[in-house]
Amino acid sequence: MTAPTKPRTRSRPEAQPDAIPQPAPRAKDVPRTMKDLRIAREGRRKAAGRTLENPLREGLRLERVPDPCVLVLFGSTGDLAHRKVVPALYQLWRTNLLPHEFVLLGIGRRPFDDESFRKELRGALEKYSRVLPLDEPAWRTFKDRICYQKLDFDDDAAYESLSGRLDELDHDRGTRGNRLYYLATQPSAFSEIVGQLGRVGLDHEVHGGGWRRVIIEKPFGHDLESAHRLNKEVGRVFRESQVYRIDHYLGKETVRNLLVFRFANGIFEPIWNRRHIDHIQITVAESIGVENRGAFYEETGASRDFLQNHLLQLMSLVAMEPPATFAADPLRDEKLKVLRAIAEKSRSEVAQDVVRGQYGSGWVAGEPVKGYREEPEVDPQSETETFIAARLFVDDWRWSDVPFYLRTGKRLPKRATEIAVQFKEVPHKLFRESATDPDPNLLAIRIQPDEGIMLRFGAKIPGLGIDVRSVTMDFTYGSTFAVDSPDAYETLILDALLGDASLFTRADEVEQAWGIVDPIIDAWADAPAPEFPNYDAGSWGPDAADELLGRDGRRWRRI
Amino acid sequence: MTVEGPSGGNGTGKVGEILAVGSRAPGSGRVQLDVPAKPGEPTLRWRSRVHTIPEIEQELARIWAEPNLETMVEGEPGRHVAARTSVMNLVVVARRPEVGERCAATIQLLTGRHPSRTMIVSAADPDGPSWLDAQIQAHCVLPRDDAPEICAELIYLTVGGESGRHLGAIVAPLLIHDLPVTVWWPDEPPFGRPQVLELLSNADRLVVDGSGWSEDGLKRLRKLAGLLDTTTLSIRDFALVRQSRWREAIASIFDMPEFLPYLTSIRRIAVTYGTHDESGTPGSTNVVKPVYHVAWLASRLGMRVHKPLALAEDGPRRHAGSSAHSGMSRGLTATLANGRSEVAVVVRPVHSEMPSGTTLRVELKAERRGSELRADVTAEKESVHVRVWLDGVEELDRGFLAPRRTDVDLLAEAIESGGRDPIADDALRMAAALVGPDGADDEPRPQAASIGASA
Repeated sequence: MTAPTKPRTRSRPEAQPDAIPQPAPRAKDVPRTMKDLRIAREGRRKAAGRTLENPLREGLRLERVPDPCVLVLFGSTGDLAHRKVVPALYQLWRTNLLPHEFVLLGIGRRPFDDESFRKELRGALEKYSRVLPLDEPAWRTFKDRICYQKLDFDDDAAYESLSGRLDELDHDRGTRGNRLYYLATQPSAFSEIVGQLGRVGLDHEVHGGGWRRVIIEKPFGHDLESAHRLNKEVGRVFRESQVYRIDHYLGKETVRNLLVFRFANGIFEPIWNRRHIDHIQITVAESIGVENRGAFYEETGASRDFLQNHLLQLMSLVAMEPPATFAADPLRDEKLKVLRAIAEKSRSEVAQDVVRGQYGSGWVAGEPVKGYREEPEVDPQSETETFIAARLFVDDWRWSDVPFYLRTGKRLPKRATEIAVQFKEVPHKLFRESATDPDPNLLAIRIQPDEGIMLRFGAKIPGLGIDVRSVTMDFTYGSTFAVDSPDAYETLILDALLGDASLFTRADEVEQAWGIVDPIIDAWADAPAPEFPNYDAGSWGPDAADELLGRDGRRWRRI
Repeated sequence: MTVEGPSGGNGTGKVGEILAVGSRAPGSGRVQLDVPAKPGEPTLRWRSRVHTIPEIEQELARIWAEPNLETMVEGEPGRHVAARTSVMNLVVVARRPEVGERCAATIQLLTGRHPSRTMIVSAADPDGPSWLDAQIQAHCVLPRDDAPEICAELIYLTVGGESGRHLGAIVAPLLIHDLPVTVWWPDEPPFGRPQVLELLSNADRLVVDGSGWSEDGLKRLRKLAGLLDTTTLSIRDFALVRQSRWREAIASIFDMPEFLPYLTSIRRIAVTYGTHDESGTPGSTNVVKPVYHVAWLASRLGMRVHKPLALAEDGPRRHAGSSAHSGMSRGLTATLANGRSEVAVVVRPVHSEMPSGTTLRVELKAERRGSELRADVTAEKESVHVRVWLDGVEELDRGFLAPRRTDVDLLAEAIESGGRDPIADDALRMAAALVGPDGADDEPRPQAASIGASA
C-alpha cells in the first residue's frame, strides 16, 4: 500500500460489527487483583468490538492484516534500528504487509526533525535494505509515515509530549490508538522507558480504544536475578500478553520450519526419541569478532550473548513435545518444560561438561585478524569467553541419556548455524563385507546459511558387489521455493503487529534459561583464571571442545 | 535405433553428443565451454533426437549414465554435470510450435527452482500415418557459484496421425514415477473429450489460462469447473491467480472496521472490462477474468446464483453460455442471492486499448441501515487504486503498488501449490454457476481431431 490516503472529509462514528462469542477465560487467566479485573473487563469490551473477521481475506497472503498503528521505536538512531528494524519495516511496507494507516515514530536523543530523520533512515536503507536499489515509489510513501520525537529517556516531561504527539498522530493519521513500543536501546534503558510509559498511561489499552504492546530486545537481564527484576518492572506496567521479548533466531525461516518439519510430517516424530537418536549437536558459529561492541561483549560473553537465548531456544524447539495447538502459550508451555528438564549443573559438572574459550589472533577467510584481547574496548587481560561448548541432558522420558552438545563462538572458520540429529547405528551390520563403513543416519537442519535440511543414509554403490556408501538427500530453501525468505525481523515485527506471540519468549522461559546459565557462570567465577586465549581465530574452538565429545566416542560434525 | 541429427545447433548430430555451448575438445569427447556457466542462467547440455518411446527412454537413461559429462573450462576439467534433479513431471500441451517455445522459455527460467522432466507435446497431421518425433534436451543451471548444477530434461514430442489422438498413452511411459504430474495447457483444452480425460487421468494438477480462450471463454470455463467433480485434479487458472492483486485491494477495504459490516449488505457488483471490438459482436471478447471477480466475491460471501448471466436488458434473453448470444456491448447481468436480499451483477464492456478482456474496474455498492457504501477499484500496470464513498462522501482513496505478475510467477505458484485450493475451487464453481446450466452440446467434436493439434 503506497499512495497516501486523502484526509477524510468527515468523521463518522465507528460501526459496531456483530460480536461473536468469546472463549471462556482459562483458570490461569482469571484476574486476581482489582487492576487485573478492570483490565480483563475492559479487554472483553474492546474485544467485543472487533471480532468480526473479513471473509475476503481467506486464501490471501495474510488472512488477517495488522490494525492501523504507530510503531514507537526507542533507540531509532542506533545500530539495531538502522541495520534491522527499519529495513524490516520498509520491506513489510514495500510488500503491502503493513496497514495503510501506519506511522513509524522514531525516538532518540539526537536533535532530528521529521525530515532530517527521514534522510537518516534513507541512508540506512541504502546500506542495509535486503532489496536494493530502493523501490522509489515505495520509499516515497513509506517516508511520509516516518516521524521523529526527540526524547531523553529519563525526562518526565518528554513522555508527556510523547503522549500528546501520539494522540495527534492517532487523530491525523487514523492509527486508532494502537501502539507498538519497540525498545531497541541499551538494555540499561529498558526499565526507565517502561516505567515512564506506565507513568503517563501509555500502557493503558483502553486509552483511546487501541492496543498497546512492547517489544523488548535481548539481552533480557544479565543473570537470573536481573531478569527476574526486569520482568517484575515490566510486569508492573504491561501484562505478560502485551510483552514481546524478541530473540530473532525464532523468526528465522528454518527455525519456524523446524516446527513444521517435526509436527507436520508423520515419519519423523516416531523416531524422535532416545531409542533412535544417539545425540544432537547444535552449532551457532560466527566468523566475525566482537566488531565495535567490545565493551558490551566484555559484560556478556558467549554464554550470555548466545547460550542463554539462541542455543537454548533452538534446543527447546528440537526437544519439545508437540503442543496441543499452534498458539503462543501452548507452544511456549512445551518449550518451558524442556528448559525445566535441563538439570542445573554443579561445579564439578561444569568443569566436566562445559568448555569455554577465547580467540587469539589468527586467520579468517584469508585475512589476518586480531585476538580478542587486542580488540577495541576489551581488557588486555580479559577472561570473557568468546566460545562455549556444553553437554546438556534433558531429563525426561523422551530424551533421557541423550546428550545435546551445544557450541557457539566468535572467529570460527565460517558463519553457520546448524542442528544435527545423529541417529544410532543399525543394531546389526548386515553388510560387513562392504569396503566402506557407512555412517549412521544423520539429519542436519541448516538454519543459516544455505537454509535447508539434509538427510544422510546408506546406498549401494553400483557394481556387482554389495558396497555401501553414505549419500545425502538435500533440501535447500533457495532452490525449492520461488519466493525469498523474509528476514527474521520482518516475521517477528509482523507477528507482534498481529498480536501473535508464538515466536517470542515468555518471562518464565527467560528466567528458566538463566537458571541453566547462571550456575555455569558462577562456577567459572570460582575457578582459577582460564588460560586464555586458547584457540586461534579461524579454528573450531579450543581442543577441549573436541575432547568434550571425544570422551563420549563422538566428534563434532564438520560444517 | 533410428537416429537423426538435431536440427541446428553446434553439434554434428550424433545421438547423445554433448553439445553444450562451445566446441568439442579434440579426442576427449568432452566439451570445452566457451563461456563458463553463470549462476541462474540455464545452459543447454545435451540434445538428441529419436522416434520411438523406447528410444526416448534409452536416451534419457544415457544422459545421466554418460560418464563423460564433465565439461572442460579453459582447458581444465571443470564442473561435473550434476545428476538429474526432478521434483515433478510437467506436461505442456501446445497446439502450435511457438506456444511450445514460449512455454519452454518460461519453464527454463524455473529450472533452478523447480527442476522437472518437461514434455512439450503437440499433435500434427492428424490424417496422415502415425509417427513420433522426440527432441531431447538437458538444461542445467548453477544455483550458486559453489553449488552443483541442477539439470532437468526437456522433451519436445510431436505426434502425427492416429497417435496424436492418444497423447495420454505417449506421455504415460515417460513420466518419472512417484513424482507429481502437472499438465499445463496454455491453449484451449477441449474438455470433455475422452482423449483429454485420458491425458488428465495421469495428472495431479492442471494449469490453464482461461483468459486466453476463444469467444467469451465461458463455455470452456463451465467445463473446467466440471472437472472438479469428475476428477481429483488440482486446478490452477492463471486468469484467476493473476487477479490476486485485485483481491488484496478489495479485501483491504473491509479490513477497516467501519466498512466491514457493509460486506454482508452488498447489493450490486459491477465489473467493467476492456474490449477492442466496438461493434459489440457477441462473444467477441473473453470475459473469464471479469466473471471470476464476481465469482470470487460471491463465493467468499456465501451468495447463491439466483439468475445466471444473461444479456443485459433490451437484448435477447439467452444464457451467456449458449452459443448464439448477441449484444455483448450492452454487457451481461445476473442476480445473486445474499440471504433474502438480491445482489445485482453487471459485467459490461467498454472500448479500451488494454488487452481485450482485461478488467478495468470493479465497483461494489452496499446498503446498511439507511447508509450507502460505494467502492471503486481500478488497476494499472504497477498499481491498484481503491476509493470508497459513504453516502456520497469520499472516505478513502489509496493506492497499492502491485505489479502485474508474469507467467513465470504464475507457473511457479501453480507448481508450488499442493493439493486443491478450496478458495479457487469455490470461485470456479461459482463462475460456472454464473454461466448457467449447460445448454446444447457446444463443443465441436470432429472424430479425427487431435487434442493437441494445430487449429
